[in-house]
Amino acid sequence: MNRPVYLDYAATTPVDPRVAAAMAQCLTWEGEFGNPGSASHEFGDAAGALVETARAQVAASVGASPEEVVWTSGATEADNLAIFGVAQYYRDYGRHIITARTEHKAVLDPCRELERRGWRVTYLTPDSGGVIHPDQVAAALQADTVLVSIMHVNNEIGVIQNISSIGAVCAQHGGARLHVDAAQSVGKCVIDFAALGVDLMSLSAHKAYGPKGVGALLVAQTGRGQRARVQLTALQFGGGQERGLRAGTVATHQVVGMGLAFALAQASPSSEAERVAVLRDRLWRGLASLGGVLRNGNAQCSVPHVLNVSFEGVEGESLLAAVRGHLAVSTGSACTSALQEPSYVLRALGRDDILSESSLRFGLGRFTTERDIDAAVEIVGRAVSRLRRLSGA
Amino acid sequence: MNYSELTLRYFETAAGAGVLDGPGTFRGAAGSRTQGTWVQFEVQARSGIIQAARFLAFGCPHTIAVSAWVVEHAIGRPVAAALPESVQDLSGRFAVPIEKRGRLLIIEDAWIAALASALQR
Repeated sequence: MNRPVYLDYAATTPVDPRVAAAMAQCLTWEGEFGNPGSASHEFGDAAGALVETARAQVAASVGASPEEVVWTSGATEADNLAIFGVAQYYRDYGRHIITARTEHKAVLDPCRELERRGWRVTYLTPDSGGVIHPDQVAAALQADTVLVSIMHVNNEIGVIQNISSIGAVCAQHGGARLHVDAAQSVGKCVIDFAALGVDLMSLSAHKAYGPKGVGALLVAQTGRGQRARVQLTALQFGGGQERGLRAGTVATHQVVGMGLAFALAQASPSSEAERVAVLRDRLWRGLASLGGVLRNGNAQCSVPHVLNVSFEGVEGESLLAAVRGHLAVSTGSACTSALQEPSYVLRALGRDDILSESSLRFGLGRFTTERDIDAAVEIVGRAVSRLRRLSGA
Repeated sequence: MNYSELTLRYFETAAGAGVLDGPGTFRGAAGSRTQGTWVQFEVQARSGIIQAARFLAFGCPHTIAVSAWVVEHAIGRPVAAALPESVQDLSGRFAVPIEKRGRLLIIEDAWIAALASALQR
């Protein structure tokens, strides 16, 4: 049986075989299975050395220093540690947070929880292309703002935010720390943690051909602008690992996988991004030829790996059902219970419910070929034409 | 979402989709595209018996599948302002989740509107 064409790399990526092999070396008796925290024998030392190598690899790939890397179970935990950690630590200085309506739920849900606990949160609305402008952040800053959380690359529409300008705005403020969810960024665009003026950055391994279940929070070890070095209150306790910020035995095989995956991403030639951009443009031309197809997100400031489009005259659930089995993509609607709900990201861009629901997100990646793109155009084209015919559109 | 085998079969084949030509065609519609579900039925009847039926539908796979089933099973039945099977029975037959039962009511409204036109003739 033929597997469907996989164009959901923004949801997750397959683990690079080299990464899988390196991870396997950390699991069994023959490999480095020791507890990296066991400093009393060679097994622990060997595992600990691998963990530190991985830490250095992750740091090098994003312009950070190794001591700025705190391992987590993924970007969601990193987001939670950043948001709750800052909110708790600075609660006597201020209880105001700024974020955007288009953030991932891993940021929005902690913010909503903080609202329930008495914090105030300002949710910025992007322009119709999905861009948050630095002056919006500047206008929203208040005297007691302690955190600004804006993602780097949006997971649904691929739009890249101007983080360095937002960082400059925060640096001027003096009290607002900047957290950036960069789960979608590694391997898709260059990140320079130090140069961006960011205090905290969340990373994920499985979006970059690493394993699921591991990520990192970068915690700046120097101040930014007028601000002193960021401080966090830990959320879990029980061993003091990761400088007391994230207790628990470090999973050697997971972080080794993340380190190698990030090193490979950094080493990947710039021509790869160009190759993907060519494929993305081919996909867009093919879909646009159907007519009544709208591109979501500002195409001028997007990563080449994501294309999000809405189809006029098509109902979203039927569209997804029609391509299922042939094409693996994500829909713009979230399935909660039996009913679809329109994407809150596309709604924030001003799309109506019907167009938000009739959107598909195509995520391109390392193994995407021209043949995949042509097949996707044919599959979607067939489905859209049929559904439009069925509805008399 | 997972769909029953019957739902997928009728969604994928959607036999009976389209419009009818000629005199003696009666049409009824219900729902709204902007609300996410719209259904139209057309029927032709002779001597009080449905001879042909077609549908158009903008909606979820359940909406399309049930609409297709309705027109398939209407042929040869007397013209009457009722679906070939009750909404409750259709809901069970196609394993329609309770949250989507309202969509079957739209199908029923569209069908009754078409048949009501024929009955008024």
